[in-house]
Amino acid sequence: MKGKCYIQGMAAISPQHTFEGDLLSQPMAVTQGNMLSCVEPDYRAFIAPNSLRRMTRVLKMGLAASLKCLQESGVAVPGAIVTGTGKGSLQDTERFIKEIRDFEERALNPTPFIQSTYNAVNGLIALQQKCTQYNNTFVHRGFSFEHALLDSMLLLSEGKPDVLAGAFDEITTEHFFIKSRIGHWKQETIASDTLYEHVSPGTISGEGAAFFLLTPTATAQSYAQLGGLQMLYKPSPEKLHTALGQFLAQHGVQPEDIDLVLSGANADSNHLHYYDVLNSYALNTQLPFKHLCGDYETAGAFALWLGAAILKQQQVPAQWFPMLKEQPRKLQHILIYNHFFGEQHSFMLLHKVS
Amino acid sequence: MAERVFITGVGMITAIGDDVAGNLRSLRAQQSGLDYTRQLTTIYKDVLPVAEVKHTTQELSEMAGVAGKEGYTRTALLGLIAMQEALRHAGITDMQDEPAGFINASTVGGMCDTENVYFDIADPAKTGDFIRFIDTLDCADCTQRIADTVGIEGQIATISTACSSSANALMYGARLIKAGVARRVICGGTEALTRFTLNGFNSLKNIDKRPCMPFDQDRNGLNLGEGAAYLVLESESLVKERNATILAALDGYANTNEAFHPTAPSPEGDGAYAAMKSAMEMGGCVPADIQYVNVHGTATLSNDVAEGMALQRLFGEQTPKFSSTKPFTGHTLAAAGGIEAIYSVLAIQHQLIFPNLHFKDKMEELYITPETSLLEDYPVRHVLSNSFGFGGNNASLLISKYEG
Repeated sequence: MKGKCYIQGMAAISPQHTFEGDLLSQPMAVTQGNMLSCVEPDYRAFIAPNSLRRMTRVLKMGLAASLKCLQESGVAVPGAIVTGTGKGSLQDTERFIKEIRDFEERALNPTPFIQSTYNAVNGLIALQQKCTQYNNTFVHRGFSFEHALLDSMLLLSEGKPDVLAGAFDEITTEHFFIKSRIGHWKQETIASDTLYEHVSPGTISGEGAAFFLLTPTATAQSYAQLGGLQMLYKPSPEKLHTALGQFLAQHGVQPEDIDLVLSGANADSNHLHYYDVLNSYALNTQLPFKHLCGDYETAGAFALWLGAAILKQQQVPAQWFPMLKEQPRKLQHILIYNHFFGEQHSFMLLHKVS
Repeated sequence: MAERVFITGVGMITAIGDDVAGNLRSLRAQQSGLDYTRQLTTIYKDVLPVAEVKHTTQELSEMAGVAGKEGYTRTALLGLIAMQEALRHAGITDMQDEPAGFINASTVGGMCDTENVYFDIADPAKTGDFIRFIDTLDCADCTQRIADTVGIEGQIATISTACSSSANALMYGARLIKAGVARRVICGGTEALTRFTLNGFNSLKNIDKRPCMPFDQDRNGLNLGEGAAYLVLESESLVKERNATILAALDGYANTNEAFHPTAPSPEGDGAYAAMKSAMEMGGCVPADIQYVNVHGTATLSNDVAEGMALQRLFGEQTPKFSSTKPFTGHTLAAAGGIEAIYSVLAIQHQLIFPNLHFKDKMEELYITPETSLLEDYPVRHVLSNSFGFGGNNASLLISKYEG
């Protein structure tokens, strides 16, 4: 694939105070309990009251994050809208299933059905911004956001001037319980800032929405360059090891050039061993990020937001990373490695914009 | 210059056939697959016609060669049967020869099975076998089941843009090949009937109690269907290397958005017009080059007006033969784009135009009417295949005869 990809603007709603103010100066929000929920903004600044009333939570989160991202980028109508979501609007899906039962399939309100459609957020963004261009939604667990990024990179190389790429996922108490039945979450209840002290089966759950305006050229405003992206489906540890070496080499960086690794390590003893691949390459400073956002299908989007913010500010927000001993000597290249319950693995390589 | 993308294998299962040959037979016999459901538990069992695959889920698991293995939903089984045929048809016996990507499409994943056990799953007081369906709640489960069963290890993704999902899967696969990310990508979609979608479309008053009548003045909505379809896409260089048979070329495609309404198209069919026009132009075609349009033609009040207006705007008085094959297969949602792409390939291979069943009277808003007869020996070189969905999503594919 030819061409480059820069992050020109971005916005994130997450369990941290990421939406407003100086991105990296906010204190760390700590959750007591294994289900992290987003710090939600006042949506009225972005969405008209009559629309707001009808919309469920993840629709609001997705739409507000996308609009803030466009606003910040100074772009009203992007060249394409591509998103990823593992679960779409869970609240609407749950509601429609229940209403089918409760009303015995009669006189149903279609709104939850319409809003449960995975591309509902994309449609809303297009509608609100009158964007008649390419529009696509990926729904593949830990590859949902990553394929949205790959699609966006293809679009830029095909000549689109800019692409709005993003991800959104929510957790509900009902779904948290359902996934607890197949061992997704820790049995012991912990505080999010002590996650890494509790290596045991399962992790903590999270949610979030993050959007990025991607362009083929850099400006003084750019956050970072997305230099590389690779997905690996159910790799063996050996294949993962080889793939990481090849990924770095292919993008012209040595392991020692990586100034910071953002790792998806989540203290889940069932799948933690994959992260050993990072140690085998003697990579510099490694920081895990899931104590900040919890785990969910599109947590990679939070990691990308975090990495890009760090590169632009040339500083790691120390208050979010108590495990950080000292600031990296320089911040030129950041590697993100994440996987979703051992199945979908991804590498992302970010460069500082010079 | 980017490589051309060729279709080298097709596989499918629908209400009118368990494989591609069976589908072609029913199309030629003008045999609709619409009937009442035998699989779904719903109060609309004897009220709303559906195009159901005529096998129990158990029978499907036997056909797919996974009988006795746990956790395959009806969605996954339909997909697996279509995938196995597509691979056989393309002459792919060893998946290790060439890394294959798999871009699947799904609207509600394993809902067909999970909706029956959902309240047990969500109830802490209940335990039992149903726990194994928790993983099938999402759209990726069917994709991974299919990939793991046949041994796909390359790029793997699931797309969900409602009724245009598998057209977008084909488009993404073609673009991955053109960008050099992969040389072989298998694309399409799978969809099983569910109470969830039946009630969803019914709550929107979009379902006709009669067999659907696309482009008819008296039409009153769609009928749902189920099925799966996959097309093997390969780069020109790979096709030459392995001397594969080319069925057709995927020379053009477009995805546009209407930005008009969450579930309804614009009355002038702006999105449909833009998608068809862009797909045609990408393949270097002018309107006179198109012999057949396999329309989205759901028979809802709004779709057929919008799509018909778009056809008239693009082709005018010289509108080529067009028909909706949904009276045969029902609207199979995420599988529709794949199924109709294969019908487009069949139209080219066998020089056929398929009839638009159940049409009687011209719509008052339009001056064009669909083809109602089966036309044999009709010179078909270029076909447009349309898929439009919720969220204003419009996709059009240009499928062309390979002439060297």
